[in-house]
Amino acid sequence: MNYDEFLIKLKSITDPESFSVIFNITSFFEGIKDLLNAFTKEKNLSVIYISSTIPSKNIISLLEVYGLDLNNIYFVDTISSIMMASEYNNPNILYVESPTMLETIMIKTEYIMEKYIKGDVAIIIDSINTLAVHNDTKILSEFFHLFATLIRSKNAFFIILSIRDQNTQEIKNIMSIVSDEIIEVD
Amino acid sequence: MAEARKKCLTGIRGLDTILNGGIPVGNTVLISGSAGTGKTTLSIEFLVHGAIMGEKGLYISVTEDSGKLVENLITYDFFSRENIQKDIIFIDIPEIYEKLGLNKLQFNIEDINLLIENIIKIVKEFNIKRVVIDSITSICYRLETEEKIMEFILRLGKALQEFGATTLMISELLPFAKGYSQYGVEEAIADGIILMGNYERRGDLLRTLRVIKMRGTAHSRATYVLELTSIGIMLVPLLKNGGE
Repeated sequence: MNYDEFLIKLKSITDPESFSVIFNITSFFEGIKDLLNAFTKEKNLSVIYISSTIPSKNIISLLEVYGLDLNNIYFVDTISSIMMASEYNNPNILYVESPTMLETIMIKTEYIMEKYIKGDVAIIIDSINTLAVHNDTKILSEFFHLFATLIRSKNAFFIILSIRDQNTQEIKNIMSIVSDEIIEVD
Repeated sequence: MAEARKKCLTGIRGLDTILNGGIPVGNTVLISGSAGTGKTTLSIEFLVHGAIMGEKGLYISVTEDSGKLVENLITYDFFSRENIQKDIIFIDIPEIYEKLGLNKLQFNIEDINLLIENIIKIVKEFNIKRVVIDSITSICYRLETEEKIMEFILRLGKALQEFGATTLMISELLPFAKGYSQYGVEEAIADGIILMGNYERRGDLLRTLRVIKMRGTAHSRATYVLELTSIGIMLVPLLKNGGE
């Protein structure tokens, strides 16, 4: 679907579900911004954003440029610590030592849900491609299956982001196993 | 069908599910693990949840000053440090040794009896329902022989069970130790064993928990990854495809 159709699609999603979004590299950051906007502003949800592509600090700077309200966005940052850049102090960011600590990602997400969030929530994973750089496919498949099941049981949205050019057949298989729907954005 | 035993809810997220409803009341459970695996934190949280549920707790500290221990504890959102010290009885065992004249390196049977009597006296006086001994390894050090260790744990466990108290005994292990206790006797006598460990995977060090045995209840024997947080211990299953 083209980008405008993607925006319409985002508006049409109402009930919690698990879905994957495949972007082109050129539309990736705009896609993140519109996803966050759709879930926090239009649907009035809290978002837990799991960042393994770029540090949360950089994402926050980017979103501030776009003028997004960041109060209801929490970050589980898996990349800053291994870059020795986790000194940035923000109460909405929890750092995980490495993107290989998959169990810790699940625990920190659950921790944020229990400690900070009262209403509905969407979990966004950015991205399956960078997690696949740090983890082998077997453990990654197991992680996504377990994590998606855990999030579904809490009646929350579970959204996996990916970049088309970086998707191997194994990554596509994982997305199709854990997603109710795969949205491909041209 | 045998009647299910009454359970003592640990209150620790996930652990009661793993234990199919909690620890059977009156059980003596070894919490085994090497340094830094979360044994003390888990034991204190067990007492804290007990206090919240109105069950009196007793923490017997053998090696560390209890005041210092509380100072270094994780801060809970649901229970203040002040409440911990107010609602849980902390006893430093060197004070009991001093009071009973047990200032010697090795205990004989009479000394063991005296020590047990005094612990039971406190349990009875304050109607204690949850006991933590941190650590049983340090007490065993003074008992010299396997027979005396067996006698001590059996007698103490039985007496605490009679009062309906559920007991956690912390067992210190060396990092690569085999078995679940330093003297080998403790694990055979205990009703339950919860093994806490450090699991290294590709340079990451994960804290883990596994229930090895628990008399009186069915339980999971899977390994879980554990995190110590301000809302208490949190557990998720260890991903198996990471290799072990």
